[in-house]
Amino acid sequence: MKLKGNTFILNVILATLFFIACDKKKIDKIDEEDTSFDKPAMLANYADNVIVPNFQSFKISVDSLVSSFNTFIQTKSVSDLTALRQKYITATSKFQHISTFEFGPSESEIVRSNFNTYPTNTVQINSNITSGSYNLGTVSNLDAKGFPALDYLLFGKNETDASLIALFDTDPKATNRIAYATACLSEIQIKTNSVLNSWNNTYKNTFTSSTGSQIGSSLGLLVNQLNFEVDLLKNGKIGIPLGKKSLGVTLPEKCESYYANNISVKLAKECLLNIEDVYLGRTTSGVNGKGLDDYLEHLKAMHGSETLNDAIKNQFTITKAKLDLVAEPLSSSVNNATSTVDAAYLELVKLLVLLKTDMPSALGIVITYQDGDGD
Amino acid sequence: MAFGFLMLASILRFMAKGWVYDMYIKPKLFFPYYGFEWVKPLGETGMYVLFIALAVAALFIALGFLYRFSAILFFIGFTYVELIDKTNYLNHYYFISIMSFLIIFLPAQRYFSIDSSINKKITATYAPNYFILIIKFQIFLVYFFAGIAKINSDWLLHAQPLKIWLPAHSEMPLIGNLLTKEWVAYLFSWFGCVYDLFIPFLLFMPRFIKPTYFFVIVFHLCTSLFFNIGMFPYIMISLTTIFFTEGFHLNIINAIRSVIRGTANEDAIIYSPHTKNVKLISILFIVHFIIQLLVPLRYTIYPGNLYWTEQGYRFSWRVMLMEKAGTAFFYVHDRTSGGEIEVDNKKYLTYMQEKMMATQPDMMIDYAKFLKAEFIKQGLKDPIIRAQSYVTLNGRGSREFIDPQVDLSIQSNSFLKNKNWVKKY
Repeated sequence: MKLKGNTFILNVILATLFFIACDKKKIDKIDEEDTSFDKPAMLANYADNVIVPNFQSFKISVDSLVSSFNTFIQTKSVSDLTALRQKYITATSKFQHISTFEFGPSESEIVRSNFNTYPTNTVQINSNITSGSYNLGTVSNLDAKGFPALDYLLFGKNETDASLIALFDTDPKATNRIAYATACLSEIQIKTNSVLNSWNNTYKNTFTSSTGSQIGSSLGLLVNQLNFEVDLLKNGKIGIPLGKKSLGVTLPEKCESYYANNISVKLAKECLLNIEDVYLGRTTSGVNGKGLDDYLEHLKAMHGSETLNDAIKNQFTITKAKLDLVAEPLSSSVNNATSTVDAAYLELVKLLVLLKTDMPSALGIVITYQDGDGD
Repeated sequence: MAFGFLMLASILRFMAKGWVYDMYIKPKLFFPYYGFEWVKPLGETGMYVLFIALAVAALFIALGFLYRFSAILFFIGFTYVELIDKTNYLNHYYFISIMSFLIIFLPAQRYFSIDSSINKKITATYAPNYFILIIKFQIFLVYFFAGIAKINSDWLLHAQPLKIWLPAHSEMPLIGNLLTKEWVAYLFSWFGCVYDLFIPFLLFMPRFIKPTYFFVIVFHLCTSLFFNIGMFPYIMISLTTIFFTEGFHLNIINAIRSVIRGTANEDAIIYSPHTKNVKLISILFIVHFIIQLLVPLRYTIYPGNLYWTEQGYRFSWRVMLMEKAGTAFFYVHDRTSGGEIEVDNKKYLTYMQEKMMATQPDMMIDYAKFLKAEFIKQGLKDPIIRAQSYVTLNGRGSREFIDPQVDLSIQSNSFLKNKNWVKKY
């Protein structure tokens, strides 16, 4: 009898617990407003107002670069060379605004590596031009194509405007050189069109409908690639030329767009601006839409006594200010103004920590395929 | 039997996901455990052969074929794999190792198994109670220590890390919105703690077994739904059936048997091992459980916050307690030129290794020693290896984790020595 009694009591407790739980659910549904963050709206903002418009704007700059090149090889005039170089600078700057989105269509086309592996391999480029036979799709040509190769081809190593034009005109290899530059340009153009089409046709929907936080979710992909981009900015654009990987020995020739000579800092700033755009969900027209900042605010994520969002936004401000102090060309600044460049680098490190450690942790984003047990 | 099948499933899952390659073939360096530095992986073919052998052993355990041999093989093989790299440490794997060790001594092949149908002489229907009891006691310890570990201010007073983990699932149908509510995180935290503390006691009371088991299922299915924890929930759900009475198990066996070949009549045979063996086994089990009791408590000998320093964290049934993440920058300092190299961690470590290393001081030492050797090979003379690391724990914002000036390559992972270069929490 006693036995049964105990079971009975336990069952009653259980039933009550469940009743309370269910009841509470009901009350909540009626009383409280939706407390969950509108992730689909955030993803839609990223797709519609940030990612696709940036690809569109990049595509326009690429098309314009290609047509400018075609004009130049007809006229071979100094003024068209100057115009062409301007188009190159615009396109490579716009590239900084799409580099982060290396998932989905961009990942299939391996946009980052195909478009922007630097420092470029001038020996390989020249041998390709000489032989006239090459396959730009091979791994060995990764550092002999894309924007870095165009940088070398259009600006040249210690060339005057006249001598550079001669390379495309009277030089014995002029035809091959034109063909090579054309091949580099059309690879960029074809892949860019393909990526933009994928986004417009199917991927936009794929992206906005994957609302989880698990591995491979849109949020996970975006945050991962954002961090990868900060890493590229910190190391590739600043750290490596500054000698951070070479015992403090500076490597000016490793600057991005080294041959254009005075845009490396500009490209770094564009890149940082894009990282900030992605963080804020800021559109190409400058409107701060629903983004990671809003998500962090919603989750009330903290960093010491301030909110994590404030900490990150402040760090963006400080980093931009330090980067503004670095003078072009970066290849000279790493030697002449080492401490100024170093100061910017240190702020980038702090930014990276916040975006790579604090943000994913606060968002509960899973970034590994392996099982975990929370330790 | 269930253990065998689940292990088979685990091993196959592990292989199917390509983890053998990711964890034991691809990495350029491995992080061995203190005292087990001699454990090295077998190379590509070797590792695959080993995993296939483990799968076969698991199948044999399930079928009761060459039972003892298979159990020994499984225990040694599985434990070996886990010892290769502490990056992959999971309480679940440790639990499997222990269980496979314990089942070596069980007379589980003596009833309803291929072994016993081949050799009728070993057949027995009743095993001495203490065999069952040791398994029960082990499960008891796991739950109980897990429960004790949950009694801390982060878990109970701040509902951390569940407050971070649950809202991440807000897109789930029906309950998604609920998961973003703060009280739900508290409810889950308190329920989890109470569950872990009381379930082992309840399991020992036969009259409550049904409602208790119901909770076991609900609890573990919940964890499997929300967290990325692989096979563990299913292992626990199946293993806790050992607390059911004999009748329950006989019913299952008879059900399977009726499918295979109809029911058989059998006489009650009590399995009684030789007295000498009993003594040996008893001593073994007593030593085992003393270790099991002491190991989770060893953290008390180290100063500082356990979750921050992680000294004495592993092997203590601390599960789901921390949302910890970090970034570590390693620097190789050349004494001759005074110059420094910032290491590209991705060049040497897998993603998982880098992530684990950035928050675990003992792994930083291992990595620093590896880097030192690597850069001496590249021509540096006795470089200093230092690291700047930022760690965030349970939503508190990242801060500097270790002293960035300390040469990590000359530190050692001694058992008793406190790592005083880890900053105070």
